[in-house]
Amino acid sequence: MHWIALQPLPDATGPQDDDDGALVDALAALGWWALQFTPRVAQVEGAVLMEVSASERLFGGRKPLLDKIYKKNKPVALVQYARAATSLIAIARLQLSGPASRKPDDLPLTTLLAARPHLPTLTRIGCTAWGQLRALPRGGLVRRFGAGLVDALDRAYGAKPELYPWLELPAVFEARLELTARIDNAPALMFGARRLLAQLHVWLQARQRGILALELGWELDARRQDAPRGQLVVRTAEPTLDMAHVQRLLAENLARVTLHAPALYLHLRSLETAALPGTTTSLLPDDVRVGDSLHHLLERLSARLGAEHVLRAVPYADHRPERMQVWQAASPAASVFATNSVAAHAYPARAGGQNHASKQPKTDARSDALYPTWLLTQPLKLPVRNNTPQCAEEGGPLTLLAGPQRVEAGWWGVSEEDGACALRDYFLARSEQMGLLWVYQERLPGQGAAGGRTATGPDWYLHGVFA
Amino acid sequence: MVNTFSQIACVGFCLQNILIFYTVYMANPLPITFAREMPSVWRADELARPVDAVVATGHAALDAQLPAGGWPVGALVEVLQSKSNLNEWRLLLPALTRCSGPVLLVGAPHQPFGPGLAAQGLDPQRLLCVTAQTTAQRLWACEQALRCADVTAVLAWLPQGGSGRVRPEQLRRLQMAASTHSKLLFVMRPLAAREESSPAALRVLVSGQGSGQEGLALHILKRRGPPLAQPLSLPARAARLAALLAVTRRQVAAPLVISDKDGDEERREANHDASHDTFIARITPFPGASHALDRTAAAA
Repeated sequence: MHWIALQPLPDATGPQDDDDGALVDALAALGWWALQFTPRVAQVEGAVLMEVSASERLFGGRKPLLDKIYKKNKPVALVQYARAATSLIAIARLQLSGPASRKPDDLPLTTLLAARPHLPTLTRIGCTAWGQLRALPRGGLVRRFGAGLVDALDRAYGAKPELYPWLELPAVFEARLELTARIDNAPALMFGARRLLAQLHVWLQARQRGILALELGWELDARRQDAPRGQLVVRTAEPTLDMAHVQRLLAENLARVTLHAPALYLHLRSLETAALPGTTTSLLPDDVRVGDSLHHLLERLSARLGAEHVLRAVPYADHRPERMQVWQAASPAASVFATNSVAAHAYPARAGGQNHASKQPKTDARSDALYPTWLLTQPLKLPVRNNTPQCAEEGGPLTLLAGPQRVEAGWWGVSEEDGACALRDYFLARSEQMGLLWVYQERLPGQGAAGGRTATGPDWYLHGVFA
Repeated sequence: MVNTFSQIACVGFCLQNILIFYTVYMANPLPITFAREMPSVWRADELARPVDAVVATGHAALDAQLPAGGWPVGALVEVLQSKSNLNEWRLLLPALTRCSGPVLLVGAPHQPFGPGLAAQGLDPQRLLCVTAQTTAQRLWACEQALRCADVTAVLAWLPQGGSGRVRPEQLRRLQMAASTHSKLLFVMRPLAAREESSPAALRVLVSGQGSGQEGLALHILKRRGPPLAQPLSLPARAARLAALLAVTRRQVAAPLVISDKDGDEERREANHDASHDTFIARITPFPGASHALDRTAAAA
């Protein structure tokens, strides 16, 4: 048996409270960290105990293992160590924290938890060290002080096995933080959230998982508000360990939150995690890419500007130009670029019968060269003079160069999502001011935005620009 | 003499890697001939040597006039154009098709039309559109995009005037971000920005050639080299569209006008007449016209 006792130094959680990365619960985090070396980790009396004798062979012997624990794999907080053959001796040495490790017989009785209730009596009979207590007759000790003291003594000297409730990693991360001050505005909550995230980071590392979704909640001062809780869910497209990214997303979202009363508590919960694949590092310096990845960028843009403002186009099989592409929020689909998935995959299944037309856009280059490069979101109604459409802004006449290209589609549309029926003749037109334009003429009255055939003639619309 | 002044002004603009040899050169030209051999010395009367990678513009006439023969990677390129006459795709598409990776459009004036861009070789799946109303948001989005390792190029449309005015130091910030992360950065600005100073490494003014000409007229306002007095003319149209326009130019004398009265009848006639001309009649609305929906057009 080889026990190591770890205890966070008091200043690891004391004055450092205000620093970034200070942990909410250093002892729990230390326990999670210790679980990478051995499954036998327990929390006793404000210390973390780990029994490493079973893992020594895995790590290549006792000395390499201790090297790894003490030097290479730094614990998550500043700690002090003590080690011994049994856990009680390790704890006693930790409490004494002297430079020289004393023999068990010389350890003072104050360091034995089971002896603490009886300390006055024991001191009066002149018994102050473990060795002296052990020299007393067992029968008398049991009768006078109960079996607990003798049991503890047996365990301390290795005569009985030591069993503890072993620490397990929680499947769901949940941490709560009492704020040191009442916080009135939401962005200031980031301050406490940062500490919770540091704790989450340790948990994720221990579980070797990346976070996909988390929930930050706060409890408001109940005297001032009917609904004293609020929460914010933040999602990211790829499992990540990068707390700086999560922090930025949280900050962007918190910037839009209004607190109706001062917040007193914060809590953080992991909603969804995924196993983190290992990353391959490169030997060559050129391969190291500077900057963050695309999904980080898209999520940051979406968090600040709104997901509806960061879009990507997905081709769609339809004859109406305005429905040839569907604009989707870009952030959840950032992986499209990574996986290089083909466009055909993105076609919705309801395109069904038109599948023969829904091939890769590139193959249609021959004909599609007559499509414009800009498409107006809303077709712009053009004024008509002398039966000739006029350029909308400056009022010059348009010269029709080629056409008509007839589009007759959407007659099947019954619902809103099918769109309106389009009966149009498209023309290539030139304007002296605006260059080459794509205009269309409604073929039936009553379809256009203005609706109805006027006395001057059919409606003309500007729909695209050959920029 | 005017030319000399402008060359000295050029020295003032481009402070990177430059020793101001010019005045010395004017006084006694002989001692500094060694400067020709020094790669880090740029003489203001010749085009700068490549500092960073470039991407060919796809227009041979333009390549010849740009330092190192292409759009500079890692530098701000300003494209000035009038608000009503948009020409950015014609100018930039060939270069964008040459590189891979996502292209971020910030504050585009309209929707980019995927089928039209795909026909010219740009996969529309590469495009990411960011719509932001205020200039500050657009600048922020640009800078974030430039810092991203995956993004290849950023195209930004920055308005001018009013509260959304872009200050030179903001552009300078973009220029720094682009050069730090080696990204293609094009900033589209209105013509009014022409008179302002700008930290851009390259400024071009784009306009369509008037009176039925199809090319692009390109004024290079600023480059790392002597100023270019004559505007460039680029025949920048997709091949098929250019062919169509060449055919229609002959017919412009009798433009296609459709009157309202018995419009359908006349349109049929127009269509019928047009079918004598091989090209116009071939404007099939959609590829693989075997679809039932296309039959109406065929019958008409």
